[in-house]
Parts: sequence; structure tokens; C-alpha cells
Amino acid sequence: MFGKEFFVNRYRVLGWEFRDVTPRQAIRVNSMNVKGFDLLERLSSLGVRLEEIPFARGGYWVVRSEFSVGATVEYLLGYYSIQEAAAQIPATLFADLKGKTVLDACAAPGGKTVQLADLMGNTGVIVALDINKQRLKALQNHLERCHVKNAVVYRLDARKVSKLRLKFDRILLDVPCSGNFAMDKLWFERRTLADVKRNAKLQREMLAEAAKILKVDGEIVYATCSLEPEENELNIDWAVRNLGLRTVEIECYGEEAPTEVFGKRLDNSVGNCRRIWPSEKTQGFFVCKLKKRGG
Amino acid sequence: MAEPIEDFVKLFGARFSLDRTLVVRKGDSFFLLSRNLKNLVERVGDWLFAGLYLGKIKGGIFLPSFSLLFMIAGHAKNRVVVDDKAAWLFICGRDIFKEGLVEVYGSKNRGAYTLVFNRRGECLGFGKIVKDLGKAKSGVVIKNVLDIGDFLRRERTQISES
Repeated sequence: MFGKEFFVNRYRVLGWEFRDVTPRQAIRVNSMNVKGFDLLERLSSLGVRLEEIPFARGGYWVVRSEFSVGATVEYLLGYYSIQEAAAQIPATLFADLKGKTVLDACAAPGGKTVQLADLMGNTGVIVALDINKQRLKALQNHLERCHVKNAVVYRLDARKVSKLRLKFDRILLDVPCSGNFAMDKLWFERRTLADVKRNAKLQREMLAEAAKILKVDGEIVYATCSLEPEENELNIDWAVRNLGLRTVEIECYGEEAPTEVFGKRLDNSVGNCRRIWPSEKTQGFFVCKLKKRGG
Repeated sequence: MAEPIEDFVKLFGARFSLDRTLVVRKGDSFFLLSRNLKNLVERVGDWLFAGLYLGKIKGGIFLPSFSLLFMIAGHAKNRVVVDDKAAWLFICGRDIFKEGLVEVYGSKNRGAYTLVFNRRGECLGFGKIVKDLGKAKSGVVIKNVLDIGDFLRRERTQISES
């Protein structure tokens, strides 16, 4: 079970007609380091044309630039990060981040960790984990470049976080996933349903671990850049039924997630999740907020 | 614990001190932590990076981080401001020519270290004065030691390694 036709048919069943797209590059202003207005003026004077992303505060699409926006003085000074538009959504879904103990369970290369630090005003603590050595180096460079002061980095598998013996107010589970064709032009050649299922299993293990270390009134934001329901709606349905978690309504870009997938009826609350189909605006994405039942 | 850092800061004639109780050494690296972070890392295991990275000792020499340079930027006596072209070349790893200097503060003497700023007052790195800035008429006067372009060079190294 693989190939473009196989996956495109699945998307059709889920209500989306395939079209090949390349999302625009996007940046996010690090407001802890610079005033947004000043930065926009500076980039504009360099000939960079930006367009505000209506659903991501401090986010801008790069409409035109004659050089890489990853090689400006402003970038090197940590005034902004290069972060795809949909990827800017998950960190903004948490309520009240200031002073909290936050887990970024799959943190590298650090775009969302820096965004969390920005939203937290460098207060509280971010525990940032990853297991890949190279990606951890990228994470540390990103934290240094953007002057993040409130993060601590561990090389640790997100499925073993309870080893740290900490409880968290907020957990960002931006889990490893199969990705999507908008960001990987060879996606259909590379991926099979078996890959998707393998990732879904790993993601469930991460969800289960997160549920263990979440404080009673804590929040989990679960995100993938996969379009496959096994990694999205089906995992959340499983979490709601097995981990004592419930979904929470969110207001963000994207459409209500389906509550019936390939003939399987899911918990109604899965409709609180948001599914984002790829377009020129964003890559494919899925996001959901969870709390403990009774919390 | 904070001595290598304080010695480094003195090179720029900076009056600047860190809260020593919040400076933590991990292997060869130094970090400045908040109280919250310090409490956490004392309780919880083998971390790699925490708070503001200040620099590391390599071959007996203290190599500062950019966070540390930015922290001392407002306190350093030794500083030069360079024009836009020299600023760009500097972050590309190049040395500074006399012609690129706009303003010079503090020591002008050969062998002294100086922070390098652009016209906007942003610290781009630091260098070593290789010709007396008061006397030199042209040529390279400040040797690049560290510049913010290093972040890009690191990214490239990581890509080629992975």
C-alpha cells in the first residue's frame, strides 16, 4: 500500500482533492529581541517583501527576496527565525505560558522552542529534548543565536521523559511524523502505509508518556506535519479513549478534523482538532490540544 | 568558576560582573542560569545546554559565546564602529581595513582586543588590533577573531556532517 494514487485516493475520501503545491517560505519575529515594526522596516530596506500571516502573530510570508533570508545580519542577531507558517501555530495554542514549566518533547532544530521562549518572555523553564546528536547541535545553535535564556536541553527519547521525574504545566508534542508531499517532492516515492503505521505507533508511545508527566491542570499540544489519519485523528481518538485525556476546542487556522475516518467512527471530540491541507499558504499540518479528563 | 569569563571580559576594558552563584560549568562549557533553571539542573541529570551559553575552554583558551559578547557590548571600553561594507565583510569572516573604521573607542594599541559594531550599534563580534589604530594609514588593522557569521558556518558544517 503505497504510491501517489493510493495516498491521493485516501485524501479524496477525507474530502480533499489533491493538487501539487509549494508553500511560501515564512519567518517569525522574535519579539524578545527586536520590535516587529523595526525589523520589517529593516528587511524592507534590504528589498525583502513580506506579507503578514493573518493566523500567526509575528509571522510573515516571504513574498520576494533576492537573497537568502537565512543569511542576513538580522537573522544572525536572532531577530527572526525561519519557520513555516503552519509550524507557527502549535506553540500559540497554549494558555498562559509565562512562568510555566514546559516540555518541548521533540525539540530540534528548535524553531518551536525559540517561539515558546518568546511567548514565555524568557520566564519559567523549557525542558527541550531530542535524541539525534546533529539535530541537538542545531537546536543549541538556534537557542544561542536567539538569546534564549530559559531552556535546558537533554539528549533523551520523548518516550522516556518520566526518567527526569518532573511534572509539566505544558507539553508540546511536535512528534516525528511521515511529513507530507508539499515539503518533500519525493514523498509519494518514499512513503508507504507501513511507514505511516510505524510512526503512528511511536507517536502513541509519546502521547502515553506525556499523559503520565502532565500536571492535573496541564495542557498538551500535539502536532504533526503528516496528512495521514493514522498519525492524527486515529491517534487522538486512541488517546481520548485510553489515556484519560480529552480534546479542547481551539481557535486556529485549519478545518475541523473528521470524526469518521475510512468507515471508522471516532470520538466526537476529535472534531476539536484542526487539519490543514497543503496550499500556497502552508504545508500539510494537524494540531490538537489535550487536557487531562477532570483537569 | 567564573574566572575565565571575567578574565576575558577584562580584555575589552569592560566593567562587568556576573552573579557567580548562577554560573555553572559543564565539562568545558560555561552557562549562566536563572534561579529556576539552576534548581532544575541541580536536581535533574545529565543536561547538554542550559540558560545562556557563555563560552568554553578549548586548548586552555576561553572561547566566548555571542551571548557573552552581547552582554558585555554595553560595558566594553574597547570598541570600533565600522561602515556597512566592512561590517558585511566582517561577518563573512574577513578582517577589518583601516578604511572601514568609522569610530574607535578605548585602546588603539596593537595587540589589544576590541568589539566590532555596525552603525546601528549592534555587536557583530570581536577582533585583535594588529596595527596601531592611531598611526596606521591603510591595510588590515583588526584581525577577525569571532563574528556572528559563525552561526551560518556552523549550520553548513552540520549539514555536511549529517
